[in-house]
Formats: sequence, C-alpha cells, structure tokens
Amino acid sequence: MTLAITLIVLTLIKATPIVYAALGGVISERSGVINIGLEGMMVAGAFFAVIVSYATGSPVPGLMAGIAAGAAFGYILALAATRFKVDQIVAGTGINLICTGGAAYGLVLLFNQPGASVQVHALGSDYWILVLLAFALAAALHVVLYRTPWGLRVRACGENPFAVTSAGLNPLLLRTYAVVLSGALAGLGGAFLSIGELNLYSEGMTAGRGFIALAAVIFGRWTPLGATGAALVFGLFEALQFVLEGRIAWLPPSAMSALPYVAALIALAGITGRVRPPKADGVPY
Amino acid sequence: MQGSAQPVLLLRGIRKTYPGVVAVDDVDLELFPGEIHALVGENGAGKSTLASIAFGEVRPDRGTVEARGAVGLVHQHFELAGRLRVWENVLLGREPRRGWRIDAAAAHAHVVALAERNGLAIDPDAFVDELPVGIQQRVELLRELDREPAILLLDEPTAALAPAEIASFFATITALAERGTAIMIVTHKLAEVMAYAHRVSVMRHGAIVERTLAAQTSGEQLARAMVGGDLPPVAARAATTHAPCLRVADLYGGDDERAVRGLTFEVRAGEIVGIAGVEGNGQSALADALAGVIPYRGTVERPPHARIGIIPQDRLAEALVPNWSIVENAMLGRQHRARSRRGMLVDRVHAREDARQIVERYDVRTPSLDATVKHLSGGNQQKVVVGRALIDAPSLIVAYNPTRGIDVGASALVQSRLMQARNEGAAVLLISFELDEILSLADRILVMYRGAIVGTFERDAVERAQIGRLMAGIA
Repeated sequence: MTLAITLIVLTLIKATPIVYAALGGVISERSGVINIGLEGMMVAGAFFAVIVSYATGSPVPGLMAGIAAGAAFGYILALAATRFKVDQIVAGTGINLICTGGAAYGLVLLFNQPGASVQVHALGSDYWILVLLAFALAAALHVVLYRTPWGLRVRACGENPFAVTSAGLNPLLLRTYAVVLSGALAGLGGAFLSIGELNLYSEGMTAGRGFIALAAVIFGRWTPLGATGAALVFGLFEALQFVLEGRIAWLPPSAMSALPYVAALIALAGITGRVRPPKADGVPY
Repeated sequence: MQGSAQPVLLLRGIRKTYPGVVAVDDVDLELFPGEIHALVGENGAGKSTLASIAFGEVRPDRGTVEARGAVGLVHQHFELAGRLRVWENVLLGREPRRGWRIDAAAAHAHVVALAERNGLAIDPDAFVDELPVGIQQRVELLRELDREPAILLLDEPTAALAPAEIASFFATITALAERGTAIMIVTHKLAEVMAYAHRVSVMRHGAIVERTLAAQTSGEQLARAMVGGDLPPVAARAATTHAPCLRVADLYGGDDERAVRGLTFEVRAGEIVGIAGVEGNGQSALADALAGVIPYRGTVERPPHARIGIIPQDRLAEALVPNWSIVENAMLGRQHRARSRRGMLVDRVHAREDARQIVERYDVRTPSLDATVKHLSGGNQQKVVVGRALIDAPSLIVAYNPTRGIDVGASALVQSRLMQARNEGAAVLLISFELDEILSLADRILVMYRGAIVGTFERDAVERAQIGRLMAGIA
C-alpha cells in the first residue's frame, strides 16, 4: 500500500518538469513554431535559477530568473522563426547547444568547478506548490486555447497564418507571444529540477526531458490536457525506476533508467501516422 | 447605374513591378455601388496583383487607392484554418466576448443570422476541412461579408467550383450587388462574364486595354482583346496511318465510388481518343492505373520502350515540385534519359536548353528560367507541365484536363500541341471534363459513367445531345 502511494507521489513529482515543458511545446506548436529548443530552455531555467538563488540567497528570485531565462531564449527562437525566417529546427538545435555548452562554461567561470554548482538555497518543501501549479496551468492553458479569443487566434495561426492575416491580425506577433510563453514554461520546468527537487545545478540534469516533452506533445495530440496525461505516463516510468531499484535483481540499473526513453519511443512508434500536427506547424510565415 | 452614383473604389495610376516583370502598368479603375465588374485577362496579365493592391494587401510602387468603405477579398486559394470550425473562421479577430472568454452561443447565432441574410446555408459548427470546396468558399465569403464591405473583390471565384455550385454562387453575388455592394470579379472565364457582369475591363501585360459594357460586347471580342489579336487557330487535323499502340482490356482498379469497372479500349498511333464524362466517374482511377501509381487488374499493353508523356490532373500535387525552378522541374522524370546526363552527372546545359524550349514554345510568362515554379501563375505552371510531357516526342500521351485553369490563348496553344503530336504519330488519350475540348480534338469519343464505357462515337458520327445524356447516366 505504501509502495503504491510512494509511486503516485513520485510520479507526480517526476512528471512536473515534463508537464511544464510539454505545455510550452503545445502552445508553441499550436501557433505554428516547432520548439526543438525546449531542452535548452530547461537547461537555461535550471542554471539561472541556481545562479540567482546563489547571488540573492533566496530561491524565489531564482525561480523568477529561471522563468525569465527560458522566456529570453524563447524570444530568440521567436525572432529566428518570425523576423529572420530561419529554419525552426536549426534555430532550436542551436539553442540547445548554446544552453548546454554555456551552462557548462558558466559553472567553471562562476564556481570554478566543472560538473556541478555549489549548493544553493532551494524551495525546500514549498516545491509542492510548483507540482500543483503545473497541473493547474494545464487546465488554465486548456481554457485559454479553447475558450478565449487569443487562444482561437493562436490555433488559427498554427493552422494557416494567412487566415489570420485575412482577419486583420498579425500572425508573427501571435507566434512571438506563444514562443516566449513556451520558453518561460520550459524555464520554469528547468528551475523546478534545480532548485525544486534539488538545490544545485549539475551538468546533464535535464537528461533529455525537453525531448521527452516533445514526445508528450505529440502523444497528447497537441492539446494541453493530452500532453499532461502523456507527461504523467513518462513520469510514471521515471518513478518506477526508483521504486523498482534493487527489487528486480536481473535488470541492471542502467536499463532501469532507460525506461522513460523506451516508453517515449514505443509510444511515438505506436501512434505514428494516426495523429496530425497543426497544419502550419514548423512552416515559416 | 454608374452615371449618377459616386465610385466607391478609385484606383489612379497604379504601377507595380516585381523583379523582371511589370505586373501592373499605370492602371486607372473605378468601381460603382451595385455593379458587377469583371476584370478579365490571360494568366499572368496582372489581374490578381491589381486585386491585391485594391484590397491593400500589396503596396503599389506608384499610384493611389481610394476606397469609400471596407474592402473584402475572397482569395482564389481560400485562406481558411482547416481544423477550426466554420464560426471560428468567420469571426476570427472579431470574436464576440463575455468577459475574457468567447461567447460561443452569440458567435453561433451571429453566423447563422449572417448566413441566412445572405442565402448561404451553412453549419456553423462544422470543421472547415471536412466541407466540400464549394462550401469552404462560402465560409470565406461569409467571413468577408461579416465586415459589411462596400466593395467585394473575388479572385477567380469559380475556379474550384462544380457547375451547379457556380450557378448558386452567382445568385448570391447578384443579390449582393442589388443591395448596393460594388463587386469586382477577377476571372478568365468569359462565359461567366457574359452571363453575370455589367461592366468589363480587359487587362493585357499589366495594362487595361479595353473597357466596355458586357451588353455591348461578345465573348469572342473579349477573347481577342485578352490575347491582343485573333486566337491562334488549333492545328489542323492531318491524315495519319494508324498502328496499334495502347491496348487496355478488362481494367479494374481504384476505390469503390470512383473505381473503373472493366474498361476495354484501344488508342492507336495517330489518333486522339477522348474520354468524356462528369468528374468522379472513374477518370482518376483510369489515369492512375495507366500511370502505374495505383494497383489494377486487367491488361494494359503498350509497345516496349514506348516513350510516355503524362499530364497529371493536379499540377502542384502530382506534376511539379513547387519549390524548384523551371529548369529543375523541366528535368524531373526525364533525368535518366541519355540527353539529361553526362556520365553520372546531370547535364545542366541540356536541362537549361530544354527549359528554354518549353518556355518559348508554350509562352510561359516568367522572369527567368530559374524562377521558382510556385511563383508562377496557375496557367503558366500548367504550361510547364504540358511542355515537359511533350518535349521528348512521346509515342503515347495521357492528358488529364490539359487546359484546366488556363486562359483561352494558352488553351488554344496546348490543344494545338496535342494535335501536332497526334499528326506526328503519337497516340493520345485525352481525359477531360470540358466536352467542347473533347469534341474539337478527339478522333473517337468514349463516354464514361460510373467507371464503365457507356458509349463510343467516331468523330464523323458525333451526337452531342446523346453524349450529354450518357454522361448524366440518363440514356
């Protein structure tokens, strides 16, 4: 019984950063911009949250800094995708490389040590608020996308930006807002990893969650609630690896930690061809 | 109607150039309330550009646009969000609100009322991409009408519509004009102009070369003004010797509704066989089976090593790579032929030469051979497709609506080239929804209905009325 409760609690915690990033993926792709840079934006969020928490001695400014850092990289991707019409995949990949490389360099520069930062003030037990917030935001984003004028316009933008122009609106502006919001959400997810679950930044701590989130977006059919459900499934596999550790002797730990990724792979392979992305997803306007 | 009234749209000295072409050259135009004004011209004459300028979508290099009231534009390729609902598309940007949310009930009621007022029946909750093309156009029209435009511009509005849809479309437009909207229709379909328009302006090479009342002109006169002289006559039918070329027996294939069911026919060298029929009676399946792109049962015999030229039905989906240049598209599908290769490499010199030949022989209006095909007008794209299919002097040609979407001058040219190919000994299978095209070109006519051949007519024994009845399935 206690095992079941542990599993549920762990699943919620492990799913939280993926939920944030996946919601970011949904809003971005619904506007017509593929955000491959989610991973990098999570790294930026995790890293800057630690830096600012270290500098101010308080985790709340750190959290804000994490969100701002994600949003800033979101803005860079938005500029690349709208004003400069750069290939979105290339721009997103560039953001991933800059963020991971930049954070590694920053560690040496600021803490004079590679691999991990020093320990900083973290949210401690308050991180529960962020877990609950993730699921509240999922519901909120659902309402925004399907019930508000702005949401309708964002969805139209991802289907056919020319329809948005015909309605006298600016699709580039809508996409910019959506992608900045996407980055902020991914940054929040990253900050949750560094100063929520832990109290430091260590290299590789995002461990591909940005990409798992992209899988969750697809598996959730580009809807906030669907993507959240998918994130929970991936969170469950991550939690399983902790719960099962040491209980199944024949399965090596490295195989255990591959579980979420294998689950993502199988999930995607299973639904390929049966889901349709927004029509103008990834198409520059 | 224009004598007393003030114009609601006034274009003065409009000029617009694109790299390499003058699209619109010093054009004056006015529109009056309550009139239906047709702007006609060949593909690439500058009609669509002028409409975009009047709408305010494209900024002219020179000249002024004065509009009294809102301007609406219905695009040739509808600009709708396919997976959104009808009401969401119609009210995008002007959503009725309740607090910070969309008032869905009010939106729904608004669209129902709007549709009723304009006699355009529609389900506001339907998803746009699940609707037939004619209804999708209604959605775009409703979106424009909701802004209560004083001026409504329609770019090739009937290009994608079936004949029955066209009649009901013009009923709506005529009613709108009677209520005082100024309407301009950009088109090259002269029959529609003669039937529904009040005034006509003819554009050629970016300039307006003739202004007239529809009542004081004829389709023929307009065609001459569009082309700038007499229409090139279709090449004469020469005597040919027939040898067997394509033999089809008991052909079955395609999906249920539009399948072919046991076709048997022959196309001999030096003749054009026309397949007449209403769209959706198995013509696609026949063309796809002959092209080898769908599985089929039955016999398809053709001479070994026959060169085959295919003009597919959908130029953008099946014939061209829109993002490639004319040179690259001209090479496509012919890249393995000796002429196209230099050892393992592509022969760029010959490829250019071929593209130049197509552009010259078919009068493709393009700034250069390296222009991206998607930037050409639809008619000019079609000319590239036809030119490529015929350039290697094929012994068998399968042509599917070869003149779809192209203007009278270019149509005559394409038809002439098909006739010449026949005269030089090619076997031509012509599948067309334009009965007139088949009657003027074919040596033998097969009528297709529900996937079967229901009638065969030799050229000298054609009965038009009987063919029409067979096409409709009432004979």
